Amino acid sequence: MTPKALSPRKGGASRIGTTESLDVMPLRYGDDPYVWACWLYYEDGMTQGEIADAMGVSRATVNSYLADAREMGIVNISLEPARLASLTIAQELKRHFGLADCLVVPSDDNARPLIDRLGVAGAHALQKLLKSGDTLAVAWGRTILSVGEHTNIGSLQDVTVVQATGGTTASFAYTPELTASAVAQAISARCVNITAPAVVASPEMQRMLLEEPLLKEQFATLARANRIVFGISSLRPNSTIHTSGFFESVSLQQYLAKGAAGVVAGRFIDERGRPVTGPLDDRTIGISLEMLRGIGTRIAVAGGFDKVPALLAALRGGYANVLITDAATGAGILRADGVTSLDSRLSQRQKPIAAPSSYRTHVKKFLNNPNDVVEEMLDGAVKAHRKYLEPIKGSHRALVARNGPRPGKVGLVIGGGTGHEPGFLGYVGKGLADAVAIGNIFSSPPPDPIVQCAVAASGGEGVLFVYGNYAGDVMNFEMAAEIAEEQGIPIRTVLTTDDIASSPLEDKEGRRGVAGNFFIFKVAGAACDQGLTLDACEAVTRKANARTYTVGVALEPCSMPQTRRHNFEIGPEDMEIGMGIHGEPGVSRERIRTADEVVDTIMDNIFKEMKAGPGDRVAVLVNSFGATPMMELYILFRRVEQRLAAKNIAIEANWVGHYCTSLDMAGASISILHLDQQLTELLHHPCETAVLNIN
Amino acid sequence: MQTFSNAAAGTIVLSLADRIIENRAYLSEIDGKIGDGDHGVNMAKGFGMAAERLKGKDASLAVALDTLGTVLMTEIGGSMGPLYGVMFMEFAEKLQGVESVDAKTYSSMLHAGLAGIQSIGSAKVGDKTLIDTLVPAVEAFDAATAAGKSFSEALDALVAAAEAGRDSTLNLVAKIGRASRLGERSLGVLDAGATSCAIILKELSLGARERLQ
Repeated sequence: MTPKALSPRKGGASRIGTTESLDVMPLRYGDDPYVWACWLYYEDGMTQGEIADAMGVSRATVNSYLADAREMGIVNISLEPARLASLTIAQELKRHFGLADCLVVPSDDNARPLIDRLGVAGAHALQKLLKSGDTLAVAWGRTILSVGEHTNIGSLQDVTVVQATGGTTASFAYTPELTASAVAQAISARCVNITAPAVVASPEMQRMLLEEPLLKEQFATLARANRIVFGISSLRPNSTIHTSGFFESVSLQQYLAKGAAGVVAGRFIDERGRPVTGPLDDRTIGISLEMLRGIGTRIAVAGGFDKVPALLAALRGGYANVLITDAATGAGILRADGVTSLDSRLSQRQKPIAAPSSYRTHVKKFLNNPNDVVEEMLDGAVKAHRKYLEPIKGSHRALVARNGPRPGKVGLVIGGGTGHEPGFLGYVGKGLADAVAIGNIFSSPPPDPIVQCAVAASGGEGVLFVYGNYAGDVMNFEMAAEIAEEQGIPIRTVLTTDDIASSPLEDKEGRRGVAGNFFIFKVAGAACDQGLTLDACEAVTRKANARTYTVGVALEPCSMPQTRRHNFEIGPEDMEIGMGIHGEPGVSRERIRTADEVVDTIMDNIFKEMKAGPGDRVAVLVNSFGATPMMELYILFRRVEQRLAAKNIAIEANWVGHYCTSLDMAGASISILHLDQQLTELLHHPCETAVLNIN
Repeated sequence: MQTFSNAAAGTIVLSLADRIIENRAYLSEIDGKIGDGDHGVNMAKGFGMAAERLKGKDASLAVALDTLGTVLMTEIGGSMGPLYGVMFMEFAEKLQGVESVDAKTYSSMLHAGLAGIQSIGSAKVGDKTLIDTLVPAVEAFDAATAAGKSFSEALDALVAAAEAGRDSTLNLVAKIGRASRLGERSLGVLDAGATSCAIILKELSLGARERLQ
């Protein structure tokens, strides 16, 4: 075995043809299996699953080989000291001051001026923290201008940058106007300037200017800021605050005399972070300290040893909750605030604690006989929802709405596999679906119950079939449609295809139907109940389908009741975007990100297709895949609302909960129905079902 | 010329059901890698129901296949219900009224089953479906008989081709069904339908070969 023979694997080469003899483990000697597993993992970049295949052992064994190899000292992990130090300082700053985030530039990189390095780090922070729809306030200064010069984010939508203070003399490059517009340009944001001087001649002038409608509007934008990026000025002799001409030197002396230690966005604070009052307060036009502290994300970018007292004051006062600084400044702040443990921590490395690999092979479930789950579930569901539905000819596989079908009304038949509860039987009832055909878990019903549903739903005006676009459902429903037509019932079919992640736009017809069924069923049921013709019912249902957009994200797999094992695996740090409701693997597997970032990915994809403009109305469904709790769904909804609000799109109605699940999968989907007048009316049409009651 | 008795071959369907039920977990597992993992469970359910109906009935192969096809078609749902349902019903129709099944009848039976599947599904060879097992198996059987091989030898060729066809799906990208949404990620995994089809063709053909006279 030579490294050369293994090299084709590197760089994620194709998996085909890798089952040749080259992966055979050498003869065992002592701890060779550990070394071999480590070689394949660290040197060769194979996954644990691939190593398990190559070594002919289980994945759990590979996992324990790798963990044991760390314990035995076969593998040593070392970090570059300067980088380790900056990370240690950042973690300590974060912990000590309760920061949301902290980025510390390593001190080893002296090739570039500090101001540039802070600019690069600030740009990283903006990249990570800024989201579409944000309003970012930008204060002035050399460091913040540098952030603007080093930032380049093209992927965000509807971001507004607003200048945090009034303007100054343009005798230097980093005026408030130029700093704000540099940042705005770097992130392709709309820029709102404050068109008044930062410091005016008198308190009267300040009051009058603030009454001006233009300034009121600009301040309203500033009040909406949910993030701010600002520098921190030292009051030491050569700091920008003295050289910029922002303040007259006479006034400065008065603030210094009262113990001012630093300046944040044009406002003075003492060493404990308390506001320092003085003659300029009533003459300043710009963000107040109170306003600043009310902003959610407050990013301070500052470095240099002379700024330690000012930075410490700002951190103590809680003006920043994200700090970007350099290692020397960071360590200085910590020492100045009495943190003594840092130095010892920098010189010794903590021993990593190996997490025990506890492998679970079976998922716990409430079961009697695994083969009877569908029958038992239906038995319970039919009894629980007897107010809305009843079995057709005693069969639980075909259920009809009580008071649903009636002569002269087009019948609506829905259906599909089980495992999606409360889909689809929860949508049966007066004003919504007339009948539902029910298959096995994740498996289409056969033709017979579908035909029974068609017969039961028929009121002499034809029957509409609405179901998700899956090969099995299409075959069985098509056969059923043929049989029903032979019995004299005209059938029309609308396949739901709302999952925009399942196929590209060019293959829109090939997409899957997922949780957006909720809206499509609702519209179809209302159209039928209003007595529209079969043609009209079909047309409006097609419109609802065309205007419904869903994307799902799975965090954990689901497990089938029969096997009680996961259907597939999602890595401990991963999520899967575009996961289908049967656990069909999605379009991309990525590292898990924050809830807001996940929603942003979903909404960006939806916005790409949905042609909704300001003033348009939508309906929103945030749906759990089964295991994800309401708490997390509300967090997702929160961000969906923010994104829509940023585009001035109104939410006409919304639902948050379990509407179309995938057994016990952890994950959620977001569906948006782009409304028009007709769809809005149909959405509000009364219905009585187990899941949805509209009066 | 080698033939087997239709009337005495009904029990082949019972052993066919046994093989499917034995492979229930395996079929679900490979299906779970690129599909929803229910293939084994649904197949076992359908074949088990058909076996229940046939036990102690002393049915001919034609009747047994028709029972199996009807159960799969009407009771199972999913995509495999209709596809295998139509295949077995077509098989049964070709054997209807035949006393001794010879290689020619067996071939026409296979072709009818294939045509039935192709009438409701759109898969072609290379799409990573059961077609990748069925088409080469039928071709191998015909090629063997055309080359003057015995019925028995042709059945062996059929089984070998079915298994090779099944294995070919390992390196195919799925084009049809749920697995098709995976693109390249379906590489390196056997298709569950192609695998169950190989089990069915093998059991059916070995059962026929044992009964040759």
